[in-house]
Amino acid sequence: MRLKTSFVILTIVVTTCANFSCKKVLDVNSTRLASEENLWRKQEDAKGALIGIYTLMRTAMVADNTHWLMGDLRQGDFVSTNRSDLKAIIDGQLNASYPVMNRITNWRRFYSVINAASLFIERSREIVANDPRYTRINNEVDVAQARALRAFAYFYMCRIWGDVPLLITSHDGEFTTHPRTSQDKVLAFATSELITATKVLPFRYGGTDPILPGLYYGSSWTTWNGVLFTKLSAYAILAHIAAWQNNYLDCETYTKYFLDNSLQLNGDGSFGVKFITTDELTENVNAYSPFAFKRAVQIVGFGFEYGNGEATANGHIEQLTLAKPIILKEYPEIFVPKDTIRKVFTSATDNRFSIDPLTKLYRTNYFTNYASEQPIFSKIKVIGEAQTSGNFAFFTSAVLFTRLEEVTLLRAEALAALGMDNDAATALNQASALRGNPSFSLNSGVNIIDAIFAERRRELMGEGWRWYDLIRYNKLKKNNPAFMALIDKGGIYWPVSKDVLNANNKIKQHPFWN
Amino acid sequence: MVKNNKVFLGALLCSTFSFFNVHAYAVVKIDTALLNKSSKNYALRANKPKQTSLQKSKMSDTLLQDSLKGVLKSNFVLKGKRDSIQIALLRNVPNLSVQQILKGNVAGLFVQENTGEPGTEQSMIIQGASAPIFTKRDVYSLQPAVYINGVYLIQDNPFAYDVQKYDYNRIGPATNLLANIDIDNILSIELIKDPVALAKLGPNASNGAIWITTKAAKSGLREISLNTYAGIIPKNHAQTVNGAFENKFRAPFYQNYASAANYSNYASFLRDSTNLDYFGKSNWNDLYFNNTPIYAANLGITGGTERANFRFYGTGMRNASNADETSLDKYNAFFAINMLPFKWMTVSSFLNASRMDRNRNKSLRDRFAEVRYLPDFANPLSPNKANYQLFLDEYNKVVDDNRNNLLNGSLSLNLKFTPNLNFTTAVLFDYNEGLRDLFYPSTIMDGVNFVSGFFGYNQRFALNNVLSYQYRLKNDHVFSFDLGQAVQTDGYKYNYARGYNGNSDFIKINVVKGDPDNANYLNAINNFYLFRYTDKMQASLMSFYGAVKYGYKDLLNVSAVLRRDGTSNGQPDNRWITTPAFSIDWSLKNQFLKNDKFFNALNVEASWSRLAKIFLDDRFGAGPQYRTEYGWYEEPTIPTFGGFQGISRPYNTGWVGYGIKLPHVDRLNLTVSSAMLNNRISGAISLYSKDDKNQLLNIPLSAESGYASIYKNGMDINNKGIDLLISAQVIKNDKKLNWTTALNLGFNKNQVKTLPDGLSELVIENNKLQVGKSVGAYWLYVNNGIYKTDGEVPTNPGTGQKLAFNGLALKAGDPKWVDYNGDYNITDADKQFIGDRLPKLVGGWNNNFTYKNFDLNFHFLFAVGQSAINQFDASRYDFINRESARDINSVKEITSWQTSDNLKNYPIYNVWSNVIPYRADQDLFLESASYVKLRSVTLGYDLAQSKFAEKAKLGFRRAYIYLTGTNLLTFTKFSGTDPELINYNGIYSGTSLPIARTFVLGVKLDL
Repeated sequence: MRLKTSFVILTIVVTTCANFSCKKVLDVNSTRLASEENLWRKQEDAKGALIGIYTLMRTAMVADNTHWLMGDLRQGDFVSTNRSDLKAIIDGQLNASYPVMNRITNWRRFYSVINAASLFIERSREIVANDPRYTRINNEVDVAQARALRAFAYFYMCRIWGDVPLLITSHDGEFTTHPRTSQDKVLAFATSELITATKVLPFRYGGTDPILPGLYYGSSWTTWNGVLFTKLSAYAILAHIAAWQNNYLDCETYTKYFLDNSLQLNGDGSFGVKFITTDELTENVNAYSPFAFKRAVQIVGFGFEYGNGEATANGHIEQLTLAKPIILKEYPEIFVPKDTIRKVFTSATDNRFSIDPLTKLYRTNYFTNYASEQPIFSKIKVIGEAQTSGNFAFFTSAVLFTRLEEVTLLRAEALAALGMDNDAATALNQASALRGNPSFSLNSGVNIIDAIFAERRRELMGEGWRWYDLIRYNKLKKNNPAFMALIDKGGIYWPVSKDVLNANNKIKQHPFWN
Repeated sequence: MVKNNKVFLGALLCSTFSFFNVHAYAVVKIDTALLNKSSKNYALRANKPKQTSLQKSKMSDTLLQDSLKGVLKSNFVLKGKRDSIQIALLRNVPNLSVQQILKGNVAGLFVQENTGEPGTEQSMIIQGASAPIFTKRDVYSLQPAVYINGVYLIQDNPFAYDVQKYDYNRIGPATNLLANIDIDNILSIELIKDPVALAKLGPNASNGAIWITTKAAKSGLREISLNTYAGIIPKNHAQTVNGAFENKFRAPFYQNYASAANYSNYASFLRDSTNLDYFGKSNWNDLYFNNTPIYAANLGITGGTERANFRFYGTGMRNASNADETSLDKYNAFFAINMLPFKWMTVSSFLNASRMDRNRNKSLRDRFAEVRYLPDFANPLSPNKANYQLFLDEYNKVVDDNRNNLLNGSLSLNLKFTPNLNFTTAVLFDYNEGLRDLFYPSTIMDGVNFVSGFFGYNQRFALNNVLSYQYRLKNDHVFSFDLGQAVQTDGYKYNYARGYNGNSDFIKINVVKGDPDNANYLNAINNFYLFRYTDKMQASLMSFYGAVKYGYKDLLNVSAVLRRDGTSNGQPDNRWITTPAFSIDWSLKNQFLKNDKFFNALNVEASWSRLAKIFLDDRFGAGPQYRTEYGWYEEPTIPTFGGFQGISRPYNTGWVGYGIKLPHVDRLNLTVSSAMLNNRISGAISLYSKDDKNQLLNIPLSAESGYASIYKNGMDINNKGIDLLISAQVIKNDKKLNWTTALNLGFNKNQVKTLPDGLSELVIENNKLQVGKSVGAYWLYVNNGIYKTDGEVPTNPGTGQKLAFNGLALKAGDPKWVDYNGDYNITDADKQFIGDRLPKLVGGWNNNFTYKNFDLNFHFLFAVGQSAINQFDASRYDFINRESARDINSVKEITSWQTSDNLKNYPIYNVWSNVIPYRADQDLFLESASYVKLRSVTLGYDLAQSKFAEKAKLGFRRAYIYLTGTNLLTFTKFSGTDPELINYNGIYSGTSLPIARTFVLGVKLDL
């Protein structure tokens, strides 16, 4: 009896246990990732992967404030309050061993963009076959954006490091090491990719653009303006690559196309593009600031929108420049000394910064607390939900590569370099028309190239241009032996992080930094 | 069941390590004090009258013995070697966590208690580290499995660190989940290192196991035990300093090296020596340190009949620190029941519930790490009491509730079909949840208030079945067979939200929109700026195994285990692994020395096993994958662009490819154990070699791939060592003085055997792994003094260039780093392996004296051979960079306003130099962190044994009063406050709360 009972129970138990299928128990699908089999199937995958490339590019530019540390500091207008690492950059001691410098000189984050873009170019067409909602045209436009982003990443790196390894496929899952490729080759590749892209990219997404009419991923141009690369974004980058290579002939062509077509960005419910006033630039008047939110004026730019939870402390120039009375911080980390301000802003009517000769009052658009030893560079101040001051030091300013005024000044530079001084002066005056200064006249005795670069210095202060402008300026003028020596020896390029060198022995440090 | 086993049945079952908690506690009355003993001895004494004197049993407690040897059990029993600890003596020490209980009490276990803050997480490493510990999350995968009555306790999963910027504390309450077990309810704790014993437990126990058995339900007359203690932690004495001290410290740097610009940037709070905030009285310590009470009380009741009996246990306690008003309150309820509905069926069950509330520290670092928002550090907290009081007044508005609810238990059923055939099935579960509600008012946060809420749970459910059969061939050959199967499913989840800049300091919770259809669902209602995180992970493990044991007379035992385990965290073609284990145990005593008077026991055993190691993360099972990770160093978790979430390859966390295999660990143990001179001396020595093979390592990839790293199999790490236990009854005089002494030692030598891809060395950020070196070795620049003048800096005769540091020419005031490769450029290639993070020797020494009814116990703890990087000093000297960096390391805590006579002095380098002379990655700041500590002293007296009590016939079985002092003395050369307060990665940051001296007075009553 006892045995019998036992065996009955045993049977029950064993059957219960046997019901566990091993496979079922062990097939736990992770909710934390998308596996290889599950991606590249649906339209949403294409959107996610495409947005992913943009997000990576934004990270590459802003991580540890790269864009400003590399663009605005070296030989620039800013002075470090007490941070030794920033001072080392300003002084050009780029091999100083501060942690921030080691991080920003690691180009890995740019190659993440490149790899993601290559992968997108290779794989996204699979979705066309799998998801009827995802059209071939949609895919072609997406691939063109990926190409443009990849080219932009290469250009951005070449400005920093000169020669960098050129990888044009994703090598997904295969990891090989590559040496540096000459900068000319890399930029030639970037140029050809951008030219390919310009043929497909629309002026506007989700609107009435003839190339790509209708909603784009279910959203209209009001959603997409200032977010995605347009045809004009590609032209702006092309123009800059050409200028960087001293190829002002092409630069002139691209900027011409850009300016002739810039109004194509307008309409379909967006804020549109225009030359903005100084108050719009610095005080977000009419919500037209090119730094706040996302705007079509951000020709190439990446937003951090408050409402989307993208506000951060790091990744904005405000973290370096703002202090009391705009935010609660006691001292800024970098500031523009008074002497420099006076030297740069020479006109008494400049509404970015000038001192009224009679009242001695000064304009605060660019600088706050001018009277103090450490004036606050307050041109860019997008705090919290696009406020211009506040306690909450989470910033939402976009990282901006170029805007209409910048491209116009680039065109002026190209024209001047080509000797078309009259046209150059026109472009210069067009770019600076709303800044309150008297128009530039070729009769003023000031060299047109000097005038253009002086205007760039004023207009683009704190936008990550100064160092690269100095390089182009000196390449044009060739009148500064020390700087020319720097150019000749490759000292204008940054050293690469030791983490890069440790992980790939084919990469050699630039001899200038050894 | 075999014949001779029947004799001992009841007793043996009690001491069995039932995997399923199937203890037939019901059958025989036993004295709990004896339960730690080897079952052999124990069985003989089981029917003797009660021996309540705890002191009499501790001798054999420390022995490395097989308490089940030669005995056959009814069900799945864990057989093998293990170290049990002298639990009886430890009941007098006010330990909070399992880690603290074990510290220094068992050979081969290194416990890291790196802050004195009660209830914080602690680490245990058994027989050396099997993987590098570079970050805090690395520690999680090295922890041993902890079982309570056979239930494998689930711990926090490190996946929460994915969304954290700083890893000082895990988000949520971050309470040590192993603080939930109360020592007065514990019957035994054993450390399992034996290969075959671990093989029986399976891959869960691949890092070793800690086996806790609670006091059991048992039949007989109702027994009540009441234990209570109250104590005090006296306040620390601090040598406080003010701004004048700091100014004096900085003076030589300014005199030697400062430029005018440097002077003009002089720290603002130190500029004005008439400012009483910084140059007034430094007496913050009056408020920071307090004489703090601690207390505990618990009650245990057991009783019932032989067919049904129970145990109830309840406790309430407060553990605290004398610093910063930190404490932990714990409530614990335990209930166990055994039933014997039929002679052939036993039902056992227990339920253990706890609640823990933790009062955390007020340190700025922990606060800003949680908040991830750094205000201006220009003016630190003032050392003045009045000012500090103002801060504390504001701090009173803080809400910081940390709560954990824990529940575990099991229900098991044992069926004895025939005397030789047994079936056991058990359901086991463990659930714990952590909650943290946090609010910081704007007044202490630079005008921006902060709120965060955390809820997370870990849950485990397991079902285990075992069929056992025993067979005896003639009288000399005994076979036992086990067939087992187990399923285990784990789930981890958390929801976490942090919000900033709320409307006022009066609304201290985050109220969100609750309508799921609303576009703003879960957004704050016109209030905090919110960031939300949620994550969830599930894992399962399925196991089958068979075990055979063969015994020949009382001479030889041979065991073998073969198991097959499948894990959901392995890749589909690689998730199953078959692993064997063998052991042989030979009694030399019975073979050769049967009549020898000197040896009471002499055994040798060899044991080998292989076990799979299971990944803690589910990402490796998926193969190539896409994730959302777009952050960077300073902002690790930014999720979207343009409001849309992207998806990419895991560029930041590392490529996971196909073909990832499950790692495994091979263990080989050789043990000799003996008892001599009428059991007065006993000892065991165990030689082990542990190979953790084919482990996954996240190795750096060439930056051009876009990936930070790639996960690759192929890291083999070997730990060799000796565990030694000796105990002796030095003086034995039952009536008068007794002295017993017990020493445990664990020597360990760690070595990297292979690295992925056959690499011989690998640089991972500031660390380097090299084949043949220890995984814990530091990799540092060697400092050899100071260059007094520019002329002292050597010049490369080939190029005429000065010796450089990473390309930057060295100057006067820079350190003399050694250029090992002679290329006139000091780079990573010149870094050397120096020192080690983990000790070469750990151990403890316990002494117990009894005289009549008095007893005196003292316990020493030691760890030798480890070093620490004194980052506290590095940042003290590197004040320029620290203060200007404006990162979390710039924080100046209130406790930084003190000094100590032990502080080391370093050369005065040029703090403004771009080579960062006071960088932490040089041997200048490497110090030996070896220590010996007098961890506890207890003086006790048993009233029940006194003549007075015996006459009075009070009915106490025991009435013991005791006085214990803990953390009494430390012997070390280390210059910091305490050589134990070192982070897992070997860095001493000086931010931990002290492990404080504690005195308690307690009473233990058994009725």
